[in-house]
Amino acid sequence: MAKKVLITDDALFMRVTLKNILTSGGYEVVAEAVNGAEGVRLYREYQPDLVTMDITMPEMDGITALQAIRSEFPDAVVVMVTAMGQKRLVVEAIQAGAKDFIVKPFQAEKVLEAVRKLIG
Amino acid sequence: MKVEYISPFVEAALSVIETLLRVAPERGKLSARPQVFTSQQVNVVCGITGDVEGQVIYGMSIIAADKVASTMLGAPVVTFDQLAASAIAELGNMISGNSLTLLAKAGYNCTITPPTIIKGSNVKISTLEIPALVIPMKIPGIGDFEINVSLQQRLRA
Repeated sequence: MAKKVLITDDALFMRVTLKNILTSGGYEVVAEAVNGAEGVRLYREYQPDLVTMDITMPEMDGITALQAIRSEFPDAVVVMVTAMGQKRLVVEAIQAGAKDFIVKPFQAEKVLEAVRKLIG
Repeated sequence: MKVEYISPFVEAALSVIETLLRVAPERGKLSARPQVFTSQQVNVVCGITGDVEGQVIYGMSIIAADKVASTMLGAPVVTFDQLAASAIAELGNMISGNSLTLLAKAGYNCTITPPTIIKGSNVKISTLEIPALVIPMKIPGIGDFEINVSLQQRLRA
């Protein structure tokens, strides 16, 4: 059975791009969230194998959403996918429990490689 | 405005455009404007907050925007719809995000606000009276691309 992924990004373009990449890699995108708060809600609902999480989003940013998901589901696998690659942010995300950090723009293979490494 | 605020945006734009659109842009001559103003038809506005604050606007013609979105989406854009606008906004978001990584290496820690698309010519943004520096670029096969950078050191209370 295909592993389940939740995409959290406020940009429609990124959600479409990530969905195409993940689907082509054999993963099932079970839901798409447009902000961190929706990401937390959809995580509870679907409990996916992996979450891709943007950082800059309205309502609730990705680091706050990551912390909320990990406090409720300590084994949640969250990969940050963001345009900002400052060392401070990478450290903050890793300390909050992110399993990987992908900086946009990315190659499709880089995303699939990170996801395969984490959930097979 | 300090020129050291500009270099990260130039470097990031050259790199992000080349990666996303698979063409190397040519940089034009830097010019100054008394405040943020754009005569371009499609503009992506990104707010910057932190050690330096202000706005950056990425502007282009509607024809160039169609070509950028088509390349990013891998299919021709027939109408400039929500998905095409999102692609253009994401281009601005990626350039800004990558610029902040470079600004952080220079000692300025900042963050960006989600990008906003503004369509229409002669747009003046006057929330902050900060002079703007304009970096024109030519993207082969696509058209002109203009970056308006209007940043200043954070005003402390």
